[in-house]
Amino acid sequence: MALLNVNHLKVYYPVRGGFFRRVIDHVRAVDDVSFSLNQGETYGLVGESGCGKTTTGRTIIGLIRATAGEVLFEGTDLTKLNRRQFHAYRKDIQMIFQDPYSSLNPRKRVLDIVAEPLRNFEKLSPQEERKKVQYVLERVGLSAESIYKYPHEFSGGQRQRIGIARALTLNPKLIIADEPVSALDVSVQAQVLNFMKDIQQEYGLTYLFISHDLGIIRHMCDRIGIMYRGRLVEEGTSEDIFTNPQHIYTKRLLSAIPNADPRDRSKQAALRREVEEEYAQAYSHYFDENGRAYPLKPISPTHSVAIP
Amino acid sequence: MLKFILRRILIMIPQLFLLSVLIFLLAKAMPGDALTGQLAANPKMDPQTLEEMKEKLGLNDPVHIQYIRWVKNMLHGDLGLSYTHQQPVTDLLAGRVGNTVLLSAAILILTYLIAIPLGIVSGRWTDTWADKLIVGYSYIGYATPLFIFALIMLFIFGFHLGWFPTGGSVDIQVEEGTLAYYLSKLNHLMLPALSGALINTVVTIQYLRSEIIDTKVKDFVKTARAKGVPERHIYWRHILRNSFLPIAAFLGYEITGLIGGSVFLESIYSYPGLGQLFLQSIMQRDYSVVTALVMISGVATLVGTLLSDIILSAVDPRIRIE
Amino acid sequence: MKLEANGPTAVGTNVEKSPSPLSIMWRELVHDRLALGSLIVLTIILLIVYGASLFLDQEEIVKVDFLAIHSPPSAEHWLGTDYGGRDVFGQLIIGARNSFTIGLAITLITGVIGLIVGLVAGYFGGWVDNIIMRIIDFILVLPFLMLVIVFVAIVPKYNVLTFILIMSAFLWTGKARLIRAKTLAERELDYVSASKTLGTPDWKIILFQILPNLSSIIIVNLTLNLAGNIGIESGLTYLGFGLPESTPSLGTLVSYATNPDVLQNKWWVWLPASLLILVMMLCINFIGQALKRAADARQRLS
Ligand SMILES: Nc1ncnc2c1ncn2[C@@H]1O[C@H](COP(=O)(O)OP(=O)(O)O)[C@@H](O)[C@H]1O
Ligand SMILES: [Mg+2]
Repeated sequence: MALLNVNHLKVYYPVRGGFFRRVIDHVRAVDDVSFSLNQGETYGLVGESGCGKTTTGRTIIGLIRATAGEVLFEGTDLTKLNRRQFHAYRKDIQMIFQDPYSSLNPRKRVLDIVAEPLRNFEKLSPQEERKKVQYVLERVGLSAESIYKYPHEFSGGQRQRIGIARALTLNPKLIIADEPVSALDVSVQAQVLNFMKDIQQEYGLTYLFISHDLGIIRHMCDRIGIMYRGRLVEEGTSEDIFTNPQHIYTKRLLSAIPNADPRDRSKQAALRREVEEEYAQAYSHYFDENGRAYPLKPISPTHSVAIP
Repeated sequence: MLKFILRRILIMIPQLFLLSVLIFLLAKAMPGDALTGQLAANPKMDPQTLEEMKEKLGLNDPVHIQYIRWVKNMLHGDLGLSYTHQQPVTDLLAGRVGNTVLLSAAILILTYLIAIPLGIVSGRWTDTWADKLIVGYSYIGYATPLFIFALIMLFIFGFHLGWFPTGGSVDIQVEEGTLAYYLSKLNHLMLPALSGALINTVVTIQYLRSEIIDTKVKDFVKTARAKGVPERHIYWRHILRNSFLPIAAFLGYEITGLIGGSVFLESIYSYPGLGQLFLQSIMQRDYSVVTALVMISGVATLVGTLLSDIILSAVDPRIRIE
Repeated sequence: MKLEANGPTAVGTNVEKSPSPLSIMWRELVHDRLALGSLIVLTIILLIVYGASLFLDQEEIVKVDFLAIHSPPSAEHWLGTDYGGRDVFGQLIIGARNSFTIGLAITLITGVIGLIVGLVAGYFGGWVDNIIMRIIDFILVLPFLMLVIVFVAIVPKYNVLTFILIMSAFLWTGKARLIRAKTLAERELDYVSASKTLGTPDWKIILFQILPNLSSIIIVNLTLNLAGNIGIESGLTYLGFGLPESTPSLGTLVSYATNPDVLQNKWWVWLPASLLILVMMLCINFIGQALKRAADARQRLS
């Protein structure tokens, strides 16, 4: 059985307007999304900015209330739980945030930041707590004496490691990583990503990996869901998506990946123009009259596409 | 914009209602009612007549009926009777309101006359000695309580140097309507108005200074400068014009301060306005006057805030409250 | 990737902290000559006032002595006597102590209320916030001074405590609004989301995560308010609607100046108290302004 099943998840933000500031419309940030994560795999959620990736991730972890649908974690629907009941699952699901600056409280020492979950779930003596924090910090590649420092004394990459250490202290089963490296220098990105892969092996973690960068997604993910305007337009294994893209939006995303090899550049530019043309022509074929993607249809055991 | 104004007015209606309820309840809590006035005039009233009078005045009615009647009377301009002065409160206020309005207007005019040049000098030539002096003045003005400053002004310029009269709003000898009368009025007005203004300038100076400093480095000013527009034009056409409207808009917010200030200034300078009347009435327990004055100040504050909010939102749409 | 060189310091002994906001503020304060001077002057005043008031006998000071009415400063009465022959210097000390203590009490009470209300409204938002903000908006448009005077005049069994409560009932609003706005901004930052996902309860997030980030604003606001409250208290007492007579304040001494003769000829009665109010308010304000600059990193001097 899958570790996590997201079924028909909808998250609508109310839009207020008019004279009495009543709800006149909704932003359909997540509009009927279903997917599942198996134990130990990395599932990538890709799409352009504003397509609802963050909202999906935050709803799964309970930061945002779902409008409809269910989030089954080991069979329990998290959306139906009240705060107290959810508390038991906090240990199992953790998050790595996009912004390594705002996600660490500037007024807290690293010790307090990393020990925060321990203090909520485990009654440890200060010595045990410090030992455990130091152990996790060393796991993420930071020295043991970092614990008495403040976040601003670290670089962006190091800060992200602190955030990862914090997420790891409770030995979670699922980690939601929302663009974990997009705020980092390119030179540091690979380090952090490889490190995330290492700890996945070590701890048997399952990742929901959110990114707008297909290059990173390809490097990290076993299966991929392509998101567009709050809906999934294509889902499949990394192989399915990168070698056999079916939806026009997926093709467009793929054609936009920058190519490192200068000889291929002109070829790629041509391809990109071609895809853009096709996109303009075939748009109405892939989206309904409201511009919404169709429900996913399986075209192979692993591969589904949103076509009529 | 219209929608904003309407919504803003809509917010004011419950505030107005709450204000009137609060003041009505306070009036009820005050020891004394509409009868006190009659009683003072005729202390030997027997209990029988007293009860009849009470019934007639509706003092035995349920509270909400009394409240409604009170509001109705107020809307008809009937604010009750002052028992110390034995005349309708409306008439009493009418005789005093002119002085307070005059004083407030004088304070505002002087405030702008002082604050605008100082703000401009300070903002345009930052970090010169003039700027430092002005900033120093604004710090001190911000910290100084009005009543202390007014007392010291009175002590120095009124009593010690004798440059200005030390009380009243006009000489009693001069005949009303003559030039001497108006000059005397002006003479009596100067010291209280100046005391109020010198303390009141601070906000405007600081606002203008920081506005100018902020705008000075904006792109459109740089472009104008690069095009060779003379510095004086840049200040007048580009920088100051944008700052004046908000300053004017703050007027409404100042009403609260002016009302509070007039209580102190009129008390210190024995200036016969509403503030002085308020203090006298509350000490003489003439509560119909007190109630009327609080209600009027409350409404004035509400309307002032409303106007300022509306003008400001017209100037800067970001301010528009949701 | 080892970015930290392992120094000789044993783990756990290295407790050197990065500058906390408080120490930044302190550094800024000592760097600002004016603020430092103000701090020293204020400290000296407070030491004298609280020190001397331990030895002064309030009964003795308020005892009427008709043989020494309005006597000018002398060796016996350093600042002369008032209309009841009472020692002005003694009253000045007692008055300054009362004014400062009560100003501080109002500041702290309104600070606590403003903090709680502002944090709750800002953190939880929604209808709680809506209702609280409507109440605050309403109180802010009330004619503050007049209503306080009316309350003081009609409250039965009026005493110092009632005065403090009446003042506090109006003065918490500004703080609540400020704290709410800051909390609202702080709440959107990811460290708050992180705390939620780590299972930290709301009250702990508010108190131990958000509150420390508001400390500098709160300190600045409290300092400036302290000066303001001393001014408002002495002003109301001057008008006769502040502290009751049993608790003389600096405003009480100033209020003797309502008699033109005292104002004109007996300066020793009212001028020292006026100047003391002025000096205290200036000092506290200068300190507050320096703290404000420290809180706003762009304006730091040091
Ligand atoms: N709190 C909110 N209120 C209203 N709309 C929101 C809110 N948060 C996000 N949205 C909208 O929801 C959509 C999805 O946002 P998000 O999940 O952040 O996208 P992504 O992470 O893919 O960039 C966007 O259109 C965004 O404007
Ligand atoms: Mg996002």
